[in-house]
Amino acid sequence: MLKLQAEAAAAISAHAEAIYPNECVGLLLGRFTSETRSVVAAFAVENRWEGQVQLSAHDRPDSRRDRFYLDPRDYLRADQAARAQGLDVVGCYHSHPDHPAEPSERDQAIAGPSFAFAIQSVRAGRASELRSWLLEADGSRFVEEELAVADLG
Amino acid sequence: MAVTLAIPTALRQYAGGQASISADAATVGELLRAVVEQHPDLGRHLFGEQGKLRSFVNVYVGDEDIRYLDGEESPLRDGETVSIIPAIAGGQPEAVSLQHSAVSPQAAAGA
Repeated sequence: MLKLQAEAAAAISAHAEAIYPNECVGLLLGRFTSETRSVVAAFAVENRWEGQVQLSAHDRPDSRRDRFYLDPRDYLRADQAARAQGLDVVGCYHSHPDHPAEPSERDQAIAGPSFAFAIQSVRAGRASELRSWLLEADGSRFVEEELAVADLG
Repeated sequence: MAVTLAIPTALRQYAGGQASISADAATVGELLRAVVEQHPDLGRHLFGEQGKLRSFVNVYVGDEDIRYLDGEESPLRDGETVSIIPAIAGGQPEAVSLQHSAVSPQAAAGA
C-alpha cells in the first residue's frame, strides 16, 4: 500500500499540470513500514529524455510528450535529500498526459516489488487519477497497489 | 582498501535489507564481485546473461558514471562510495498522435 501525505499528492498533480503536455517525473521520499510505503514528500526532477535508452523501435529523442527519463544524477540528489531528512527514496512518479494512469510496456526500471511506481494521469491539462504500481520481482509485469492520500502527521 | 557500495531502495531486499555494504576492493569490478558473492540475488538483478551490467543499472563513483571512467576497471580510493542507481524511463502506450494531443470538444468547453 502507498500512503501519500496530502501535500505530496498535491505536489505531484501540480507538477504534472505544469509540465503538460509533456510527461513529468520525480521521486517519492518517505518511509518503509512492512507492506506500506509512506510518502512524505514528492521530489520533482526534470524530464531529461533525449533517447538515452531504447524503449521501442521508434523512439524520438525529442519527444517528451510520450517519453520520460529519470537521470541517475537526479536520483542521487533525491537520495541525498531523503537521507538529510531521515527518509528513503520509496518510489518514483511520472505523468501520462491524456492517457490512463496505467503502466505501458515501455515503462521500465529495475524497480523491485518494494519500489512504488506512481502514475498521474492528466487530461486536457488537468490532473485526474493517481495510481500506484509495483513491478514484480522477475520484471514481468506491474501489479496495482492500494493508494491512500492521508495526513501522515 | 575499504570502500562502500550504496544500494538503492529497490534492490535492498536482495542485499539483506542493507542500504550500503563495505568491502575491500581496489576497482569498481572488484567491489561489485565481492558484494555479489555475498548476495547472489543482487547479482541477478545487476548483471545480465553475458555477465554485463544491465542497461537500467547505473554505477557511479561519487557523482561520475563509470561508463565515462574506466568502467569496471575504474580505480577506487580508500573510503570511496560507489552507488548503484536505477535508471527509470518510460512512455505512453502509443506515440502521441494529433488525435491524442488534441483537446476534446468537451474539455475545451471546460467539462
